[in-house]
Amino acid sequence: MSYSVKREKEDRPVKKLLRILLTLSVLLTGCASNSSVPTPGQVQNNPLDKEWTTILSEAKGTTVNFYMWGGDERTNTWVDAVVASSMLKEYGVKVNRVPMGPDEYLNKLIGEKQANKQEGSIDLVWINGENFRTARQANLLWGPFADKVPNYQNYVDKTAPDIANDFGFPVEGYEVPYGKAQFVFASDTTKVKNPPKSSAELLEWLKKHPGRFTYPELPDFTGSVFVRQLMYELCGGYQAFPYTEQVNKATLNKQLQPLWDYLGAAKGYLWRQGKTYPSSIAALHQLFADGEVDITMSYNPAIFSGMIEQGLLPNSVRTNLWNNGTIGNTHFLAIPFNAANKNGALALADFMLSPEAQLSKYEPKNWGDLISLDVNKLDPQSLKDLEGINPGIATLSTEELQTHRLPEISAAYIPVIEELWKEQVIQSGQ
Amino acid sequence: MDRSKALGHIVLVSILLVLILPFLVLIIWSFSQGWASNALLPNEFGLRGWRYLFSQQSRMLSSLGMSILISLVVTGFGMILSIPAGKALGLYIFPGKRLIELLVLAPTIIPTIAVGMGIQIAFIRYGLADTLLGVILVHLPLVLPYGIRIFASIYKALGTKWEDQAKILKANGWQRFWFTSLPFLYPGMISAGVLMFNVSFSQYFLTYLIGGGKIMTLPILLFPFVNSGDRVMASGLSLIFILSSLILMLIIERVITDSEEKTNVYYL
Amino acid sequence: MVSRDSLKAYLYLTPALSVILIFFLGGFILAFIQSLGYFPAIGQEDLTFKYYREVLNKPEFFKSLSYTFYIALLSTTIATVSGTFLAYYLLRTSVKKSFIAFLYKFPIAVPHLVVALMIVFILSQGGILSRLLLKGGLISDTASFPAFFYTQNALGIILIYIWKEIPFVTFMVYTVMRNIHTKLGEAAQNLKASPGQVFFHVILPLSMPSIISASALVFAYSFGAFEVPYLLGATYPKTMPVWAYLNFISADLSARPIAMVINMIVSLVCAVSIFIYYLSAKKYLRKWS
Repeated sequence: MSYSVKREKEDRPVKKLLRILLTLSVLLTGCASNSSVPTPGQVQNNPLDKEWTTILSEAKGTTVNFYMWGGDERTNTWVDAVVASSMLKEYGVKVNRVPMGPDEYLNKLIGEKQANKQEGSIDLVWINGENFRTARQANLLWGPFADKVPNYQNYVDKTAPDIANDFGFPVEGYEVPYGKAQFVFASDTTKVKNPPKSSAELLEWLKKHPGRFTYPELPDFTGSVFVRQLMYELCGGYQAFPYTEQVNKATLNKQLQPLWDYLGAAKGYLWRQGKTYPSSIAALHQLFADGEVDITMSYNPAIFSGMIEQGLLPNSVRTNLWNNGTIGNTHFLAIPFNAANKNGALALADFMLSPEAQLSKYEPKNWGDLISLDVNKLDPQSLKDLEGINPGIATLSTEELQTHRLPEISAAYIPVIEELWKEQVIQSGQ
Repeated sequence: MDRSKALGHIVLVSILLVLILPFLVLIIWSFSQGWASNALLPNEFGLRGWRYLFSQQSRMLSSLGMSILISLVVTGFGMILSIPAGKALGLYIFPGKRLIELLVLAPTIIPTIAVGMGIQIAFIRYGLADTLLGVILVHLPLVLPYGIRIFASIYKALGTKWEDQAKILKANGWQRFWFTSLPFLYPGMISAGVLMFNVSFSQYFLTYLIGGGKIMTLPILLFPFVNSGDRVMASGLSLIFILSSLILMLIIERVITDSEEKTNVYYL
Repeated sequence: MVSRDSLKAYLYLTPALSVILIFFLGGFILAFIQSLGYFPAIGQEDLTFKYYREVLNKPEFFKSLSYTFYIALLSTTIATVSGTFLAYYLLRTSVKKSFIAFLYKFPIAVPHLVVALMIVFILSQGGILSRLLLKGGLISDTASFPAFFYTQNALGIILIYIWKEIPFVTFMVYTVMRNIHTKLGEAAQNLKASPGQVFFHVILPLSMPSIISASALVFAYSFGAFEVPYLLGATYPKTMPVWAYLNFISADLSARPIAMVINMIVSLVCAVSIFIYYLSAKKYLRKWS
């Protein structure tokens, strides 16, 4: 008791100094300033109240800042060449691709929210999963806008579970589906005759080929899905992880014990004995291309056909699934709460959901991303065009992918699994 | 004696090798089309990287332009601010000099990550984030220590005798600066200019944090390629980076100097 | 009464100092305030040291600190020792001045990012050197080539730093040594001192301030650097700046003050290293002036 009183007294001069610094910081950050309080014009200008034709005519001549991860040359080129030129031609809107991934742009939006900045720099983002959940919970997104987008109304199966929910989290019109992805493994058929097709086969293969396999360290997107893939096999499938908003770390840890046992048993047979992991999926692909590992993986089932075409990988690389299926997901487009050009963002989102854009995106030489539209709603010509597209030498057929697709679990699990992985796999073994 | 001479040659040649050899690898990579995992040389050469880099989509040229613009403006203002500051520290004795000398050094001591993460929120608040002005303003303090140190030591060596002489001849302040001090400052201006330019030209973290991906400079363009491992692109872009930096260094030297004797005072 | 000269000096200094104070130290002060948990966006306005306690109690803290220390200290030591000897060596050989100019201007134009790329090309397990050794039959497979990247020994990161830092140290020391050499070296040689004696008893002690100052700058840089360890560091532990950044971009807002606390610790270490330099440089100056 007396101790705490004494402490408080000692703290006083320190506190005084802190108050002074605080005042200084208020001056610097201008927390009391009203420089960015919205003007009446901005508030009234809500596109949700307007006709679609008005939105388009107001969007004409503007620039849309589209924030997306920028590490893939083909995706970048597709957006810059195909999307940007069509948008300019068809909508009169300029598209400015900004290469920035979700971690960073969410952080930026949080900063803008903190500074009460009403006219932000981001108009449209490429997003899904736990990032969408974070953004929704922190009120970083504008909407619901999906029903305003004509191509969403015309071509999307709104009630499909993988469209209405994003990693189990209800979409509620705050994002529109941009494309679909499914987890695949890849290996060079000249080196790996029978690639493992289950967690048990993988462990067996590892024991025969020590040091020839690894996965990206979490929280890398692909590394994270690989661990969930194992988790599905070892801990009772996705059914064992029902939708939830609150995850109890200790309970989940107990539930995941078979996973930790497996990873513990596998560790010594991984690349560099599992003492370190490639920092990103790109680093793993590089190890694969350099011949340091024999198997790689991706959340984009067509990426390897593209890499073969570019000469980055030999012709003999093929993809495969696991017998019990692999995880698939949908990725989306969303508009930030303070997007300065919401009209333009809506126009771009509409174009992205058009059969024209979706088919072009599906071309393996462009990107190879699976389409997010309902095939039954396509007009006959688009359907014919779709069937005419060759998915690429190393890509599995759409039927095979579809019949092996497993849903994602709810986003709330993911940060907790990533944290547990760090504790159980990385820190405990040091 | 011969033995030490031979040893000397070995040392110099190996220094050159360590400096030059990596660039050969960079050049080979930038022209490779396919490179099997065990081969010593690419099995196919091609122009995929260069064609992409010089296409409209890569935005290489616009980023290069942006980089040059930012670095030149930063160098120019850095020069204007650090010459008088260097003069004050080189010639005068005044209360608080020690403290000010320390403050001037601060940008070389405190890591930019701490400053960048701290200041981001204020820059967003005042509309400086994502702007050219904002990026220039965060680059500027980073280059000042180099300029101020160089000019301070030049003024210290110069003393006041030349300006005093000019005063007797009734030259005004500007004339004194222009005709007496400036010629002595030339060599320092070259070194300071080159250093300032490169500090700004190669800055990644602050440009990324404050420019928010919208202010595209060469390092911002390069980073994702190094990170994602597209080695062909990364190599080509790196070569463009180094080449433009070297050319601009040469230009800065030519623009500033017209005296025959170039004293290099890069690191004082 | 402040003298006219002092006023003049303050006037000359004001523009440069304002820029440093507002746009550099201002950012630092804001980082400090945020490290105390001041974060109005999530309703936190009370100042507290609890985030400092939290960071100090994390199991990563000590590992990360020592990992960062190890990288900075080892690269600084190697760069300082080889840079100093190289400077003296260049001083005594009759190489052309333009060659020396090339040696130190060239590395300035190459940013760390590019150095990292080049050294990865050469020294990774799939790199040129490993392929050469494999072809020459000296190793049986690429996995037996020593690992330089993504490892806890951080050898690749250290090599990248010293590639940039040796030229820096060399020429910071070289300029000073040249002056000393012309003034004192000849006198010493006339007294029939051996080159080794001249170096260890005259040149080295007199260039000590510049050697220490170069190494302090190099240490502060490599301790606070972000890009290279972010790209090539081990999975665990992360260097302090990378650890700070990962907390900064975390979607979990409560991690922001943690990032700022780590930033403060990094800054403190850098400041202390410069302070030690300052003290030792003063000691040397007093001894030799």
